Amino acid sequence: MIRGLQDIIRKVRPHLRLNTRLINYYWQRTKRNKLAVAGLSFLIFLVALAIIGPFFTLDPTEVNFEEKNIPPVGFGIEQSVYNIETDEFTTKEIHGTWRHPLGTDSKGRDMLAMIVSGARISLLVGLIATGIAIILGTIIGVLSAYLGGWADNALMRFTDVMMTFPFFLLLVLIVFIFGSNLAFIVLAIGLTGWTGTARLLRSESLSLRTREFITAAKAMGASDNRVIFRHLIPNVISLIIVIATLSIPGVILAEAALSFIGLGDPTVPSWGIILEAGQHSLNTAWWVAVEPGIMLFLTVLAFNFLGDGLRDAFDPKSNI
Amino acid sequence: MENVILKVSDLKTYFFTRGGIVKAVDGVDFELRHGECLCLVGESGCGKTVTALSILRLFDSPPGEIVGGQISRDGLDLAKCSLRQLRQIRGNDIAIVFQEAQSALNPVLTIGDQIIEQIRIHMPVDYTRARDRAATLLKEMGIPSAERVLSYYPHQLSGGMKQRVLIAMGLSCDPQILIADEPTTAVDVTIKAQILDIFHELKVSRQLSTIFITHDLAVVAEIGDRAVIMYGGKDVETAQVSEIISNPKHPYTSGLIECLPDVSKSTDRLTSIPGTTPNPIEMPKGCAFHPRCPKAMKICKQQEPPEIITSKEHKVSCHLYT
Repeated sequence: MIRGLQDIIRKVRPHLRLNTRLINYYWQRTKRNKLAVAGLSFLIFLVALAIIGPFFTLDPTEVNFEEKNIPPVGFGIEQSVYNIETDEFTTKEIHGTWRHPLGTDSKGRDMLAMIVSGARISLLVGLIATGIAIILGTIIGVLSAYLGGWADNALMRFTDVMMTFPFFLLLVLIVFIFGSNLAFIVLAIGLTGWTGTARLLRSESLSLRTREFITAAKAMGASDNRVIFRHLIPNVISLIIVIATLSIPGVILAEAALSFIGLGDPTVPSWGIILEAGQHSLNTAWWVAVEPGIMLFLTVLAFNFLGDGLRDAFDPKSNI
Repeated sequence: MENVILKVSDLKTYFFTRGGIVKAVDGVDFELRHGECLCLVGESGCGKTVTALSILRLFDSPPGEIVGGQISRDGLDLAKCSLRQLRQIRGNDIAIVFQEAQSALNPVLTIGDQIIEQIRIHMPVDYTRARDRAATLLKEMGIPSAERVLSYYPHQLSGGMKQRVLIAMGLSCDPQILIADEPTTAVDVTIKAQILDIFHELKVSRQLSTIFITHDLAVVAEIGDRAVIMYGGKDVETAQVSEIISNPKHPYTSGLIECLPDVSKSTDRLTSIPGTTPNPIEMPKGCAFHPRCPKAMKICKQQEPPEIITSKEHKVSCHLYT
């Protein structure tokens, strides 16, 4: 039993071992791009927030109509309050309190708690959907380049068809058929978003395929599987990382857009859902829409900055 | 002959390209005997490398295809056997050392990873054992501090070291046959001498049978036992190396030998064979060499020359000897 385990570890270890020297080298190159570092810092902060934040904030689902529409700290608004006894509206000034630093929405839910739990969901959506898309795109792209001939043709024409298909319409269709379930939405984004990745990786692998070390790998008796996964894909890993970093914001935005037009999953408060709820009360409580909007904006920007920085760092031709 | 361990007969490898059919190898015959070093000699584009790749079917397919002939190894026809059977042979029974060590090593894997991988594909040994074996092999190739080199990436090694790593990789599963595709072309003269020494050593110590591909007759004279001279995808002359050098029969072979500079005489110009290698899509009719041949006759333009056995170990394809 233990020996078996040891053998498995030995088998897996060389595949998992990180090349610290190379990582250090790329970090030195990325570090020179200040925007990329800023983006990375923000993302680390966001991930930490999404993971441990919910343990410290209030319950984001707790409804309290006594405390509805409280503005963020430092802001004050005039609110008209209906008084049952006198049957008249009185205006009163409400100021933000530290109990709700980012205010509350029209149902009295704490905005900070909602933003934090929304971060968790939006990031998960981005990571999972991108993961699906990247894996599919990598396999299809690399396979297409490696096999060549009619298989390449078939796979690439399929990719073309997928590319021309209006994917947003497909999402709407899926929501229409299966209902607005977040899992389906994520799956749908992932299953349609791989086309660009496939094309990029195909073109990269095409040039790699003719390199002598691929022939050498075959010459040592490696199977096609081994050649693809052990010799081809590790050579395009840097490209995959860049593509993934640059496509996560697109996915997060797609989910937000879907939520915004009312096709999101109402049971899971992603930023898009909060934003959509906020747009109805822009007159009375502008912060409910603005806060998730700012978060989306910053997150997308951070991913893009980081992606650009990584692309430059991984590109041996650029001298930064 | 009973000690023949690989026999290639009438091998034809064509590439079906848009521009036409490239007959890279068009009827090559030779046999490799146990423990000998057989040299495939010829200019660029004469089909040496494709012949070597054909033995393990390593050319790109499509467009390449073996359209005829046999490659017999232990009763198995490598030209027709299944890919699964072929994979058992690749790297294990027949190994190949490529010309450019720089590009034949995967840049993102360490030297150790690559050697160990090959060992573990063919041998039932665990990781530690395979690593030890890899280190031993590197030491045998004269690489200092082999243990450390195992964790290096290819770009951290010099050209000569990389070439030695490649040879170590080729030998890692104790193959019976080693095919070396111009292993001395991409390195400088001192490294070249060292690598030739390694091959010489291997022949003595391991009784390894080698197919050595080169365009350099000086190298052939140094390490070859027998040589096959190739031209236009065909073998034009086969004989013992000493016989080839002292008594070349084919005008192309004599041309090649005359091209070698003689240091004892001072000349203003080096001799060369006039013309260039023929376009493989449109081979000249008759003997492929006739447009460049100083002794060409009328029949050379019309008929392909037959194979003539001039002595027990010497055969040549030329109309001069009919």
